[in-house]
Amino acid sequence: MINAFLVFNGQGQPRLTKFYTQLDTSIQQRLISEIFTLVSNRPAGSCNFLPLPPLLAASGTSHSSSEPHNDVPSLVTYRNYATLYFIIISTSTESPLGLIDLIQVYVEALDRLFENVCELDLIFNFETLHTTLSEMIIGGVVIETNMDRIVAGVRAQGQVAKRPVNEGRGGGGVGGGLGAGLGMGGNFVWHGR
Amino acid sequence: MFEKSLYDLIRGLRNHKGNEKEYIQNCLKECRAEIRGQDMDVKATALLKLIYLEMVGHDMSWASFHVLEVMSSPKHHQKRVGYLGAVQSFRPDTEVLMLATNLLKKDLAATSPATISLPIAALPHIITPALAMSTLADLLPRLGHSHPAIRKKTIVTLYRLALVYPETLRTAWPKIKERLMDKDEDPSVTAAIVNVVCELGWRRPKDFLPLAPRLFELLVAGGNNWMAIKLIKLFATLTPLEPRLVRKLLPPLTDLIRTTPAMSLLYECINGIIQGGILGDSEYDSGSEEIATLCVTKLRGMIATNGDANLTYVALLAFNRIVVTHPFLVAQQEDVILECIDSKDITIRIKALDLVQGMVSNDNLVSIVSRLMRQLKTSSPSSSQQNGQQGADLETDSSDEAGAGASRHKKSQDAPPLPEDYTVDVIGRILKMCSQNNYASLVDFDWYIDVLTQLVRIAPVPRQVEFDSDSSSPSRLLTADISEKIGNELRNVAVKVKAVRVAAVRAAELIISQLHSESSLSHQVVSGALKPVAWIAGEYAFQLSSPEDTLSHLLHLIPRVQYPEVITTCLQAVIKLFALIAGNDQALWTAERKSSMSLLMARVLHVLEPLALHPYLEVQERAVEFTELLKLTAEAASGQTPSTDQVQQDPPLLLTQAIPSLFNGWELNSVAHGAQHHVPMPAGLDLDEPIHHELNRLLAQADSLMLPAQGDDEFEAYYTQKLPPTSIANEPAINRLADAPDEFESSSYQQAGEESYLDADILARRKAERLERNRDDPFYILESGRSGGTSTPIHNILQNENGPSLDIDSIPIMKLDLENLSTGLGNGATAGKSQQQNALKPRSQRQRIVIAADETLGVGLGSGSRPSTPRYDESENNSDSFTKSRAKKLKQSLLQVDSSHLGDLSLDAPSGPLDGSGAGLDKLGRDEEAEMALAMKEVQRLRLEMQRANERIQVAQGVPAEGIVVKKKKKSVAKVESAEVQGDAGSAVKVKKKKKKAVVAEGEGAVDGGGEDKVKTTKKKKAKRIIQLDDAVASG
Repeated sequence: MINAFLVFNGQGQPRLTKFYTQLDTSIQQRLISEIFTLVSNRPAGSCNFLPLPPLLAASGTSHSSSEPHNDVPSLVTYRNYATLYFIIISTSTESPLGLIDLIQVYVEALDRLFENVCELDLIFNFETLHTTLSEMIIGGVVIETNMDRIVAGVRAQGQVAKRPVNEGRGGGGVGGGLGAGLGMGGNFVWHGR
Repeated sequence: MFEKSLYDLIRGLRNHKGNEKEYIQNCLKECRAEIRGQDMDVKATALLKLIYLEMVGHDMSWASFHVLEVMSSPKHHQKRVGYLGAVQSFRPDTEVLMLATNLLKKDLAATSPATISLPIAALPHIITPALAMSTLADLLPRLGHSHPAIRKKTIVTLYRLALVYPETLRTAWPKIKERLMDKDEDPSVTAAIVNVVCELGWRRPKDFLPLAPRLFELLVAGGNNWMAIKLIKLFATLTPLEPRLVRKLLPPLTDLIRTTPAMSLLYECINGIIQGGILGDSEYDSGSEEIATLCVTKLRGMIATNGDANLTYVALLAFNRIVVTHPFLVAQQEDVILECIDSKDITIRIKALDLVQGMVSNDNLVSIVSRLMRQLKTSSPSSSQQNGQQGADLETDSSDEAGAGASRHKKSQDAPPLPEDYTVDVIGRILKMCSQNNYASLVDFDWYIDVLTQLVRIAPVPRQVEFDSDSSSPSRLLTADISEKIGNELRNVAVKVKAVRVAAVRAAELIISQLHSESSLSHQVVSGALKPVAWIAGEYAFQLSSPEDTLSHLLHLIPRVQYPEVITTCLQAVIKLFALIAGNDQALWTAERKSSMSLLMARVLHVLEPLALHPYLEVQERAVEFTELLKLTAEAASGQTPSTDQVQQDPPLLLTQAIPSLFNGWELNSVAHGAQHHVPMPAGLDLDEPIHHELNRLLAQADSLMLPAQGDDEFEAYYTQKLPPTSIANEPAINRLADAPDEFESSSYQQAGEESYLDADILARRKAERLERNRDDPFYILESGRSGGTSTPIHNILQNENGPSLDIDSIPIMKLDLENLSTGLGNGATAGKSQQQNALKPRSQRQRIVIAADETLGVGLGSGSRPSTPRYDESENNSDSFTKSRAKKLKQSLLQVDSSHLGDLSLDAPSGPLDGSGAGLDKLGRDEEAEMALAMKEVQRLRLEMQRANERIQVAQGVPAEGIVVKKKKKSVAKVESAEVQGDAGSAVKVKKKKKKAVVAEGEGAVDGGGEDKVKTTKKKKAKRIIQLDDAVASG
């Protein structure tokens, strides 16, 4: 099953945290920062799987290597889009390549909902991120991988994504420095397979 | 009233870069105020802001009651925020959860699908057994909801309920199964069911065999890749139970492999074939040969072609699974797998290493280890430092070499520093690969010793523990100190392989002198390698090239050693060395010898005496013993008049006989782990018999003895401290002269590439040894100028004067290596020469090196031929038991969902678990078991009901939910209510824990409601742990 779904940006600031088991806020933050250090040190062209962060490895690897334990989170999959990192922590029972595609589906769904999604959309509409995610994953189990259904499901919850960011920008209210350049739409990198 | 919206908050955050902390604190304060207000809109907004701040790491558990308030809002968009808050912030110990039950039930029964899905999605995050029990009845009807989205979410939520409350499945499974079988069901609901079945499947595959036909149908129908992957995974767990499935599955799987465009599906097909054990039951099915080849070639293709790192990674994962059952299939792919060791991606490297470890053989060991060593060398910070120094040194010599040094330096900068735990991991694997099966794969032990020497330098320094001497706590011993492991390997080689013992001892000597020169006076010595290495130096002292120097290094090191276990070994080594140096009974007792001996003893005493006060007992004891022994000896030595030309005097016997005889016993051999247990008990042994009848009196006498005080220690200490480290003074000059010429000799083609991972001095020694070895070999051409192994005129002169047999050469050499690695080359050659007398012999017989097996007693071949060395075993076992105990302690990994309860539940017979199919005794036993299980479940149910009743009461009374139930908090409940009932729950818990048959009766009794007697007995014992019962008794 999937144990956690995380999104953070290139500076390690969380944009979405979803843990499918209850965890203390402080431990959540530690885990995020450990994963961030791992993820930000990847050389170009590396695979989308991380070695276990110390927090998970401490309890996981020692015995999981000898006798695979299906309940233990032992796979950290990540994907990088423009300024954002998407992370899935899962047990070894999930399909690694499947998870990579799952992240892709999630991002594409967001892209459809926001039309050319960028980090700012995600920051200001983090509730929509949660809604979208819960159309795909419930309690750590994937319930839907079909894009149309996901998007329809989100829209059915009355959460038509607005673009407050653009309005804000028009009004000059948004912090000046961040508007430009972060847009994901243009430099989306699809590693599509 | 101008409350901030979420947008304002986020914008504010961005505008306050720098003093965000303060800004956030202000916001939190505002939120606190807002969330307490009456206006629901303000409340919800404040909550949304809190959720955002929680994501960034600010605790919001204090707001849980307000979360509940917002959850109960009638407006959907507010309710949604409330539920989000619950999902993100509720923890197992959140107390208001009890209050939420009714709300959840109400929302589950709502009409709007949007509202229904809120509690359904939230439940998996906050579920507890009690909550599961009370919401189950409301959740089940949602399986038939007209909206497919609700149905599929409900199915998954039911699964999560079952994880904490297995009874869920008994009622829910038939309905879920019905949905799965229904061909008209919405495909996405079917997919969700398959996902859940897959999750359940690996826990209890037997229950799902009957579903195989339907699942097979779904697999063949195709369409949804995610579902197909899950189905394949599920089948992989089913096939071991039902081999006939294999034949059925192979056609569609091979078909998929050949046709599917989705790489993930292709991979999972292969993976499924591997995991399902379908691969290569060659006698069973001739087609499987074909499928095995197909799989392996596909996997090979994933690694070899197109350079997609993800494919490489998953292919390695798959190989890791195959290697368990079909090592030969993987061995064929050695070439591509080895390439992966050098990948710049650590994840891939680790996986490749896992594999390689199992593939080591005589032929590839050296090349594999060389690869790993190269990695370690180029990326270890210490080596780049050394290289840097080297570059600088060379610069003064010739610009050419400076260029080379600099480029090497640059290269090492390019490689990213490896994480420490990775380095440790790799070193551990190298040791394991080389030593496995009692060094079966190892051919060249000299090479291994050099590798070990290099590893000691590369090994990361163990984490600095607190400086107080209590750091000897066992925990440090357990933090696997990798450098100690390396040292242990060296020791094992020295003990087990007599042919290379000399080389091993020299290596130990080198390491000691290096530790000595590296560590500055103020630093503590933390390398664990010192312990085994000092042992080698002590035990095989007669094979050291210069015992005197080694002794003085050890004496300098001891005061700075951090770990007492290391000191104890060092002390022993010091005395052994001393015995060797002083114990020569051939030489005359001249005045010169007398003074040098008393000086030496004074030095040793100076080091030992402070240790007599060491807080660690073992150190203290040894220090005291040796101090007293040496004092006696010193007295004897000073009393013995030196021989003159006329009178010949023998050296004192204490010096030449007594002390050496302490250490000249049997040779030590490696002993198999556990051999001690096989030692038979001597017949006449009586451990209770007193050692001496008048022991007490003797002890009392000893107490009254006064020890003579030593007056002249300070005087001697004065001399000791002044003592210049021997032979260092005039060294640098020689070095400079010696190193220039033959620096750039390319090493023999046989060993090409060594220079990339061995330090210069080690290399030089190897090269010299090789030259010596080949001197008489007609196939090697010697350079005419180098025949003596010397390189400069001055050196030649020296050598000629002193004669080659004099060991003078070796002294500066040892120093050189430490002092200045880069200049060791030339002298290294001569070192090799002096060593040659010893080294030559083992070399020539290298092909039939004898590796001593571990000694053991009377257990026959089994453990006598145990593959690995006893020490290694021991340490492994230790760490094993450690990890096990640790694993037990942590039991559950972070993030892990515990699903162990599921295993206890039987799905087969939801109508009644009693109609077991067995006959006779077997059946009886089973019935009994089933009955007991049933009873236990009943008890459990009752207890939950009690808890629920209790909650209801409290909720009704409006009492804040402190101290309610949650199973673990029975004590606090006790205060609330009267004492009776607990008996039930108590015994139920016991039944579950002990699972003893004897308790069955008790469990049943309790369920029948007839358990009062027992209730009372337990009550006495545990009067405190009580839950109130009135309802429960009623319902029971």
